[in-house]
Amino acid sequence: MLFTSEYSLKMGIGEALLTAVIGISTVLMILAIIAVLIMLVSKVIRAIEAKTAKTDSPVTAAAGSAPPAAVPLPDTESQGELILENVDEPTAAVIMAIVSNKSGIPLNRLCFKSIKLLEDDKK
Amino acid sequence: MEMIKNVLVGLWEASGINALFAGGVFHWQNLVMLLVACVLLYFAIAKKCEPLLLVPIAFGILLANLPGAGLMDDPTGLMDTSNVVAGAHWYETGVLRLIYAGVKSSVFPCLIFLGVGAMTDFGPLLSNPVSLLLGAAAQLGIYIAFIIAILLGFTPQEAASIAIIGGADGPTAIFVASKLAAELLGPIAIAAYSYMALIPFIQPPIMKLLTTEKERKVEMKQLRKVSKIEKIVFPVVVLLICAFMLPSVAPLLGMLMLGNLFRECGVVERLSDTAQNALMNIVTIMLGLTVGATANGQSFLQIKTLMIVGLGLLAFCFSTAGGVLLGKLLYVITKGKVNPLIGAAGVSAVPMAARVAQSEGRKYNPTNFLLMHAMGPNVAGVIGSAVAAGFLLAMFAK
Repeated sequence: MLFTSEYSLKMGIGEALLTAVIGISTVLMILAIIAVLIMLVSKVIRAIEAKTAKTDSPVTAAAGSAPPAAVPLPDTESQGELILENVDEPTAAVIMAIVSNKSGIPLNRLCFKSIKLLEDDKK
Repeated sequence: MEMIKNVLVGLWEASGINALFAGGVFHWQNLVMLLVACVLLYFAIAKKCEPLLLVPIAFGILLANLPGAGLMDDPTGLMDTSNVVAGAHWYETGVLRLIYAGVKSSVFPCLIFLGVGAMTDFGPLLSNPVSLLLGAAAQLGIYIAFIIAILLGFTPQEAASIAIIGGADGPTAIFVASKLAAELLGPIAIAAYSYMALIPFIQPPIMKLLTTEKERKVEMKQLRKVSKIEKIVFPVVVLLICAFMLPSVAPLLGMLMLGNLFRECGVVERLSDTAQNALMNIVTIMLGLTVGATANGQSFLQIKTLMIVGLGLLAFCFSTAGGVLLGKLLYVITKGKVNPLIGAAGVSAVPMAARVAQSEGRKYNPTNFLLMHAMGPNVAGVIGSAVAAGFLLAMFAK
């Protein structure tokens, strides 16, 4: 509350410029601090998660009774071979991503067989 | 015979037509505003320009300008002391004026932020935190419009309220204007929402002007996956940092981050659903209707309104330019890994601005998918405009 009623009616251009410069600098500074903190926090969280994953895996292996499971595919890959007909790879990737997103099924549990471009009948 | 005459006279005196000539003056302004309301309804319904907001706003204008209906009357001076009637009771206050208390007290903008938080996925921002800088740079228009408004003779409080239109965030504009210059709330809110609807027309020429074809074609690498813990920690960290530095931003950011925590924590599905849907829809109706209702012909049709509309457009353009220019800087620093078009999405209008960046990018490189990259600066813009609002309130609140 720096500029209250006594300043309400007039403000010089110099003061306005100074306010504007301080204003944009404040916004930049606060958001930059948030950006740095996000980076730090995510690094810490990822390190903790990696450490937890490492400590978990020997325990699972030691249990030993279960048969070795097939290595799961990464979340970003689908199964099987895909035939593309008149469709380029980036477009096919987008289609698969949309199907996965809309159906709520991870890509590694989906199997696409072919993606084909249907030509418009303009005759 | 005398009784019939009295009834007819009474009907005439109570009619809207008579009210249009109240005090021997023809209130043409109300007729103009009725016409404006019809035009806005046409754009909302036929052209589908932000219909969820524009329909209630336009109808609010229509209701407030019905001669003699008194929907915004305030005889007890609850919020407006210009027409106080001696001996009046609060329950004689116009129904829209009572609902308007939610705007005046900033309850509605805060509740809208709760819904926005519940609907927003901050994942793209968390996977690329540099987006926050783009969201900050896209607030440039606020400060340029502030300087120009001061030059045009507005008071600092009015200039700050007008300038915040550049944040492209309706609830933030209403929040600031209701606290600093309540008499300008109508034109400011209508200008803010109108420009948000016009983003697909305002931004592309600026984006094209400030970037080269090579820059517009840049494909950005896929964003990393963000863990659930990161998404849960984020709202708490952001709120603490911002509120400790600028406590005046706490109402808006607090509600935004509460809504986001509802969404991400995964244990309050019902609350998240209510905030995203039922509550958001109810508050949108109330807010839109009463914001429209502030556009009374007598107070709205002034040169000042035109100046506000012009300054708002300037603020919007400079904000877009600020985001794109920082995008260009990041393009140089990262040796061509950042597409400057995503900087324009820093103007917070979610998700419209991100969609514009996506469609502009695809015009020059059909295989380019900038949407998720643009969502980062876009949601950063929401935080940026709230911080800018907090700064202006800290400087100028009475």
